[in-house]
Amino acid sequence: MASLLDEVREVARGWRWGRRPLVPRSAEPFAPPSEPREFPTEWARSPVGRAARAAIQRLVLRPLVWSETDPRVHGLDHLEGLRGPVVFVANHSSHLDAPLILCSLPERWRRRTAVGAAADYFFDVWWRAAGTALVFNAFPVERSGGRRLSDTPWRLLREGWSIVVFPEGTRSRDGWVGRFRPGAAMLCAEAGVPAVPMAIRGSFAAMPRGRGWPVPGRYPISVRYGAPVVPEPGESAGAFMRRLTDAVARLWDEDHHDWWAAQVRAARGRTPPPAGPAGPRWLRVWEASRPLPRRRARPRVWS
Amino acid sequence: MSRPGFVLEVDERTPPLLVHRGEGFGVHRFPLGTRVVYPPDSLPPLSNLRAEIRHALQNPLGSEPLSELLRPGMRLTVAFDDVSLPLPPMKTPDVRQLVLEEVLELAARRGVEDVELVVANSLHRRMTAKEIERAVGERVFRSFWPERLRNFDAEDPEGLAYVGKTDKGEDVEISKRAAESDLLVYVNINLVAMDGGHKSVPVGLGSYRSLRHHHNVHTMLNSRSYMDPPSSALHGSATRMGRLLADHLRIFTVETTLNNETFPREFGFLNRREWEWSLRDQAGYLAAKRANDAAPSRIRRQVFRRIRAPYGVTGVHAGETEAVHERTLANVHRQQKVEVNGQADILVVGLPYISPYNVNSIMNPILAMCLGLGYFFNMYLGRPLVRPGGAMILFHPVPWEFHTVHHPSYVDFFEEVLAETTDPAQIESKFEQQYATDPWYTHLYRTSHAYHGVHPFYMWYWGAHAMDHLGDVIFVGGDRRSVRRMGFRAASTFADALEMAGERVGSSPTITYLHSPPLALAEVR
Repeated sequence: MASLLDEVREVARGWRWGRRPLVPRSAEPFAPPSEPREFPTEWARSPVGRAARAAIQRLVLRPLVWSETDPRVHGLDHLEGLRGPVVFVANHSSHLDAPLILCSLPERWRRRTAVGAAADYFFDVWWRAAGTALVFNAFPVERSGGRRLSDTPWRLLREGWSIVVFPEGTRSRDGWVGRFRPGAAMLCAEAGVPAVPMAIRGSFAAMPRGRGWPVPGRYPISVRYGAPVVPEPGESAGAFMRRLTDAVARLWDEDHHDWWAAQVRAARGRTPPPAGPAGPRWLRVWEASRPLPRRRARPRVWS
Repeated sequence: MSRPGFVLEVDERTPPLLVHRGEGFGVHRFPLGTRVVYPPDSLPPLSNLRAEIRHALQNPLGSEPLSELLRPGMRLTVAFDDVSLPLPPMKTPDVRQLVLEEVLELAARRGVEDVELVVANSLHRRMTAKEIERAVGERVFRSFWPERLRNFDAEDPEGLAYVGKTDKGEDVEISKRAAESDLLVYVNINLVAMDGGHKSVPVGLGSYRSLRHHHNVHTMLNSRSYMDPPSSALHGSATRMGRLLADHLRIFTVETTLNNETFPREFGFLNRREWEWSLRDQAGYLAAKRANDAAPSRIRRQVFRRIRAPYGVTGVHAGETEAVHERTLANVHRQQKVEVNGQADILVVGLPYISPYNVNSIMNPILAMCLGLGYFFNMYLGRPLVRPGGAMILFHPVPWEFHTVHHPSYVDFFEEVLAETTDPAQIESKFEQQYATDPWYTHLYRTSHAYHGVHPFYMWYWGAHAMDHLGDVIFVGGDRRSVRRMGFRAASTFADALEMAGERVGSSPTITYLHSPPLALAEVR
């Protein structure tokens, strides 16, 4: 027969004396799943938030990225004369992509641009959410589906903020461009704002998925802006998404080869998709990890 | 609104679960994934019970109001359920007392003089005067005992009337007084779905000649379950008899249903789900268990016998038997029904200290078997909780102990019959007649407080369906000799029992624990 002490111990352990009592999972009362409250980011767009962000981006973020990598920015002329807001649509293969876009934008665009960031990744804990919102002017984007679509991007566009969207929904696992989801196209079509396609090459080699800091050696990265693509009246989100995909593919081709060759291939409908070589995954990763050619040393005037 | 019945799935958050073990209880850890069937929470009782009874008698179902059936010069017999109901005995006033007082009040006002009250004890032991007084109340007892309030005697040749045969050839023989009355009022307590309806009069006031037609192995094997009257051959037979009686005799049925307030406040933890135990419940459990374990068995038994259930009445319906019973069954289901998905490999049951046949008595091994394999196994609608060929694990000490006044034929049945065979069909064909007609047992039944000589056979038949269905029966903590005598196995611990059951049902069985009492009726899909 168990002693009194044993029985008290059994009850104490079974009913968790001194600790929070637990209810068996199957006995928990049913509660309809509540819509998680979206992390508030308005404060990051207040004058104070904007001033702090401008200082961080100018004094910390840009020097840091530009010192650890070797970005080359092309096509900013497409933004000349363009009035915002726009939706910047870029391929995504590295955590460097958002800082590269923000820090490569001209000042007038940068201070009015927000970035859509994965709610489940960047907004999972308050300190990461607050940091992301402040430094990148980020707002949470639900990518898991099943939840109510946030109206934040529409509201931001209405308020004149441009938006950076990565339509693949996540960073590429092999460095190449994946399938675009229709959200960005839908946003442009419904809000009636142009999309500025972008191709970012080399960021996967410089800082692939899984790394927390760029690869040493200042890997070159190309950030190429394309001509704005304007949704036509009555154009469906699907059709506009295909045009955007083609535009990014052309930019990728242009960056890989040259503008003229890309134009010719585009005119013949032979733009190669930026999906990378066919073959096993290791081969695709291998090719995507190949650093872009470094800049040629300037010809020495004085020898 | 009370919470409905519920099936818990044991996970790592689940505290140990309470298990009854005869005159004792304890908590046990169950394997992860075990499903635990809990009855619905206790329903709220009727707030003004006397008014509800009066209303039911004046507005009966399928019948004229009782007052219109009563007239001067008539012969009125009022029969009521015996000591086997409810379990545990309820706190006074017993609901039978309240109904009887209202019925007798009406009879007195209508000038009825020839009134007799009969305990419908069938082949059960006669109730003692004290037990009867407790059930009917002091006023009724003082007015009618002993000349006009008595136990039914199923062996009194002068007191029985042969009514006839059903279309299936079943003899119907009941109390002569009841059969020859102008009106028979039957007052019932419907604790489980098996009770009541046409089972009340033909069984409660029936003789062995009548009962043997449905209290037999064949009928019990075809009652799946006998807690589900439409699927029960037992109830089919009782219904045929009841309808035959209704052609000969005016029967006015009053049925009552109870909620699940089974244990008094000091044992309140027995009524609650374990993860909802307050600190007071936990302390109450520890104190009650330690005191119970330390007490001598005599004291322990006395403490348990003194438990009085604070049952509340959830419904009173009166009128024509079948119309009334339909409402009654709905009430019982409302209080006890739990939906369970699928059968398990192993069914676990903790047997409490009381069964219908050991009130103020001893639960001998045959009654322990009957409570587990008869009552709890049959607490299902649709399919049994355990699959065919599965195992049943029961917690009970199964002591080799008998109440020699109440259960004399049980002693001989256990020593003589079960020593030879445990097969219900063989027992029935070879021994039943001898015990049923034994003059000594009959004498004890009629003059003492003994169950009828045939009663242990009925208990054994009660478990026939389970014995036929199950592949293994294991008693945890059971006396090895008495368990082996019944053809089952004993295990020292729950872990051992699971290990033993695994030999038959495999090493990773599905387990269902029927957490009862309070009573739960599983609707297995």
